[in-house]
Amino acid sequence: MSAPAAPWVPPSRHRVPPPLLETESLSKRFGAFRALDRVTIRVEPGSVHALLGENGAGKSTLVKCIMGYHRPDGGRIRLGEREVLPRSPREAQALGIGMVYQHFTLVPNMTVCENLVLSRATLPFVVDWPRERAALTSFLGRMPFQIDLDARVRSLSAGEKQKIEILKQLYLESRIVILDEPTSVLTPAEADDVLTMLHGMARGGEISILIITHKFREVTRYADEVTVLRRGRAVGRGRVGELTTGAMAEMMMGAAVPSESRAPARAALGEVRLRVTGMEANDDAGVPALRDVGFEVRAGEIVGVAAIAGNGQEELVEVLAGQRPRESGSVVVSGEEFTATRDQMRLRRVRCLPEEPLRNACVATMSVAENMAFRAFDEPAHTVMGVFVSSKTIRRAAERMVTDYGIRAPSIESPIGQLSGGNVQRSVLARELHGEVDVLIAANPCMGLDFAAVAEIHERIRATRDRGAAVLLVSADLDEILALATRILVMSEGRIVYETPVETAEPAVLGRYMAGHA
Amino acid sequence: MSGASMGLWGLPIALAGGALRVSAPYLFVSLGECLTEKSGRINLGQEGTLIMGAMSGYGVSYLSGSAWLGVLAAGAIGMVLGALHAWLCSLPRVNDVAVGIALMLLGIGLAFFLGKPLIQPTAPRLSALELGAWSANASLRTALQINTLLLAGIAAAFAMRSFFRRTRWGLVIRVVGEDANAARAMGYDITRVRFLATAVGGFFAGVGGSFLSLYYPGSWNEGLSSGQGLMAVALVIFARWDPVRCLWASLLFGGASAVGPALQSVGITVGYNLFATAPYVLTLAIMIATSSARRTLAGQPAELTVAR
Amino acid sequence: MTGAPASAPTPAGSAPDPTGDVEMPARGSAWLEALVIPCGALAVSFVVFGAFVALAGASVPGVYYQMYRGAFGTWFSFQNTLLRSAPLMLTALCTALPAQLGLVVIGGEGALVLGALAAVVTAHALVSGNPWVVLVGMAASASAAGGALVGLAGALRVLRGVNETISTLLLNYIAIGVFKHLVEGPMRDPASLNKPSTRPIGDANALGNIPGMEVHWGLVYGAVACLLAYVLMRRTSFGFAARMIGGNVRAALLSGLAVKRIVVITCVLAGACAGLAGMAEVAAVHGTANASLIAGYGYTGVLVAFLARQNPLAVVPVAILLGGIGASGGLLQREEHLPDAAVNVLQGIVFVVILASETVRGRLWPRLPRGLQPAPAAEGSREAA
Repeated sequence: MSAPAAPWVPPSRHRVPPPLLETESLSKRFGAFRALDRVTIRVEPGSVHALLGENGAGKSTLVKCIMGYHRPDGGRIRLGEREVLPRSPREAQALGIGMVYQHFTLVPNMTVCENLVLSRATLPFVVDWPRERAALTSFLGRMPFQIDLDARVRSLSAGEKQKIEILKQLYLESRIVILDEPTSVLTPAEADDVLTMLHGMARGGEISILIITHKFREVTRYADEVTVLRRGRAVGRGRVGELTTGAMAEMMMGAAVPSESRAPARAALGEVRLRVTGMEANDDAGVPALRDVGFEVRAGEIVGVAAIAGNGQEELVEVLAGQRPRESGSVVVSGEEFTATRDQMRLRRVRCLPEEPLRNACVATMSVAENMAFRAFDEPAHTVMGVFVSSKTIRRAAERMVTDYGIRAPSIESPIGQLSGGNVQRSVLARELHGEVDVLIAANPCMGLDFAAVAEIHERIRATRDRGAAVLLVSADLDEILALATRILVMSEGRIVYETPVETAEPAVLGRYMAGHA
Repeated sequence: MSGASMGLWGLPIALAGGALRVSAPYLFVSLGECLTEKSGRINLGQEGTLIMGAMSGYGVSYLSGSAWLGVLAAGAIGMVLGALHAWLCSLPRVNDVAVGIALMLLGIGLAFFLGKPLIQPTAPRLSALELGAWSANASLRTALQINTLLLAGIAAAFAMRSFFRRTRWGLVIRVVGEDANAARAMGYDITRVRFLATAVGGFFAGVGGSFLSLYYPGSWNEGLSSGQGLMAVALVIFARWDPVRCLWASLLFGGASAVGPALQSVGITVGYNLFATAPYVLTLAIMIATSSARRTLAGQPAELTVAR
Repeated sequence: MTGAPASAPTPAGSAPDPTGDVEMPARGSAWLEALVIPCGALAVSFVVFGAFVALAGASVPGVYYQMYRGAFGTWFSFQNTLLRSAPLMLTALCTALPAQLGLVVIGGEGALVLGALAAVVTAHALVSGNPWVVLVGMAASASAAGGALVGLAGALRVLRGVNETISTLLLNYIAIGVFKHLVEGPMRDPASLNKPSTRPIGDANALGNIPGMEVHWGLVYGAVACLLAYVLMRRTSFGFAARMIGGNVRAALLSGLAVKRIVVITCVLAGACAGLAGMAEVAAVHGTANASLIAGYGYTGVLVAFLARQNPLAVVPVAILLGGIGASGGLLQREEHLPDAAVNVLQGIVFVVILASETVRGRLWPRLPRGLQPAPAAEGSREAA
């Protein structure tokens, strides 16, 4: 979209302002785990209220209780003067509370029109499609951005899907709109557009907004008030104008925030370890996801690939890791063709740290020790007579790695699915960084982890590079790329569209390329 | 009847007649399976439902004297089996595919057990419309005998397509089958929707079974079905989960099944067993041709786990 | 296999629930559960079956007694049970081996039948040979034939994404059709009038009985195969790789495993076991190939595999149990006047109850305290659009 115009304030169709939403001493437990502990929060009518907190602080649980997904164990929810307790998202919607989720709730195989109509609380027994389309078209006429009603949702970009989710709430005439990290899949420019529009609507008395975010910039620019959660408790609140970013950060984490500086300029780089040329690949639906992608990574450097989710970088990592076939192009590692076979990975010392480790790199039901042996179970060190697996040596190797990496697990024989996200990631890291590494491919290695784990993993990746490995780091977090990369590539719509060394990189420029605008 | 007197026309007519006659069970079971799979669940137990439907339809027709009552009973039994399948699959950690096979074995066992006393007696059967009454040719007349149940099935196919496109319930089923998360966010009870879709799917399969015992071949014995229930699963995939395409596919499969008997009717008996494998070979060939290791099939409900 | 591109039904991965989707009891109670739950399920099945036969008019204690008599009551009946369990051990492996990779293969019936055919052809081809050579030849060709059938299904799965459950079911019917055609046609023994059969393989080539018993060596084939299968899957690197594939195919690909090759090899081994069962039936029981071979051993083998929770060692006792149930069918018919399908009904009930009992797993005992809090939902996580 073009540069943001003046804030768009729609004519208010409602004569009364949205109701006050507040929770009083709301608590929720899952077994022994206290997700919410007597949280009180107040969303004033027509305001934008930010909900800040680290991962695991309870933000999602709080809004899910409001939306009727979970039943709170204690406390009250009030809407206007009434006490309410929605028992399902449908009931919450009927009360006028709507949510824009992080995981899209649109049906991919159906069209935009079908999705919007189906999201209504009450549907007629037989749907008169021509009439519904006409109503939708006139509704869209009042909105600042347009969408193709007949497009199938799965063919749309993440940004477009997010906009449809927001439009859906307006279509359903929600008075209170809850947004869960809405801009995580948008470019900075798109995010500004969306937030500006929503802010304007709140000002105009159309809606109240409760926005979950961890981006201070959004809080300071768009929010009126903020509540900070930590470990299930509301530890601070106030008007945004009266709080500094530092104060908010301290409330969030209870300690000084470690800041990561940019990667210092590297000295002499080694030979080209990984060379990708002309790579083409399709996604699961057969649509081209990678178009003529080519780049090089040298020993001793970290090449960061910045892209918004859904622009081909997931497929790129999958092709390199051997999880997806490529249609054409070549991958050369240390001078030889690379097709991701086990022998090649062993000989050329290629390792991979994929995103969502439990989904991509582990077998949840196998033990921690077995998972750590995935690369080595058929090597002479762990086999008897070349055929039988020696569980003793595997266990010993795993115990060593557990101590080295500080992995917390009930036992080395417990299924790895029982470990927390951070410990699963540490286990995969331990396995992949074991021994000598010539090429490391990492994708969103720190997603969903707390600050301490993030710093630790970043350190390990830097150390691997310092030992001479060529590292390819794919990430949707620009801060992570800026902190680690020597050189930055931007991917958009399956192509490499921009390249810059980190010293001269500008976030605004990167953001524009990520969005597909030069 | 001897087709020899008809010369070259004997074979195609016998084939067409056979196709019309034999395709009804395929049609009903595939419509039922289509409904179930649109909601995101596969039911491999339809073979057992089919046979139980055949037996109970025959039994009720014999006891009550009305073939149509038998058809209804068959549908009701099918609904019960479908509901059992749905309930079992709704339990956590239960494997859908295994449940289907288990119910197939149970259904067949139960049908053979309860149906022992029904092998000898004859029950009132369904009548047919004599669309070929104008012809002097015996085999043409036989070929054009169309059963009213088949006509009902044809109507049901078109109605089901409309159902999925235009009615609230049809759309809800589609959403549940496409994206469970979206359905949950919209507040639909996925378990309940799948339960109902599977139960009604079982009703259709039961009715399809009653056709076998109450029309063609028209009696109850233990060799009645030869995998039609399972082939219907492949048929639905072939038809890309569209009810009207299920209709055409059923006729095609009916034709393939009728090849053996049709050849027999013109005097060719060699290789009867091989021709009997024609529908299975056709099904397998279709699955090989239309599946792809890389892409998901167009039209496939995304929540369906088996055909991926 | 879980995860794209082709998968068996398993609970979805990252549902945002703080308690975590993966419920696994600590090791001690897992062992206890593996024993108690199937036994409990069996008990429930027998009760349900009892109610069923009571409704059918038979006497419940009478039925139980006849079943016991027919299965284990005398040495004679026990041997009968063992006879019936021999092929079941092998056909169960046809399902249990691919199950380690997350595949659901039902091809035992077709593989058995083709194995029997191949055995007969070999016996006739080597007609003047040393009986030992003939036996080895029969076993080899039967294994090859069965292996080819299920291996084909495996190849179709990895190359074309064709669902292996449906393809093996279809291949069963096709194999049976081919079998019937050959037995009733080109390979038919003119002397077999009432029941079309192939020419006999000759008494010299028969598979004899285990010394001291009236049970043939096929039983030993079955038990040894189960032991070897267990060792293969649990103790070798091939089995480790197979379990990785079955656990998460994406992780297996990431580790560079040759998934396609491992799948096809496992399917070939699975089919070879069932083919061997066909050979044993021909060489030890019937002496010829005819329709008696199509007795549902394949499908009962599927049931054995599921009842044994796909564990090759557990297949042995479970096969004996189901052999016993089958063996008692005759007595039930004679003494209690129940149709022989009663046994099928019991098998169906057992299968259904066993499957339903999976749901109880992990919920019987309070879980031992874990050293770590369950992972809260990763709130910052994003799903790929």
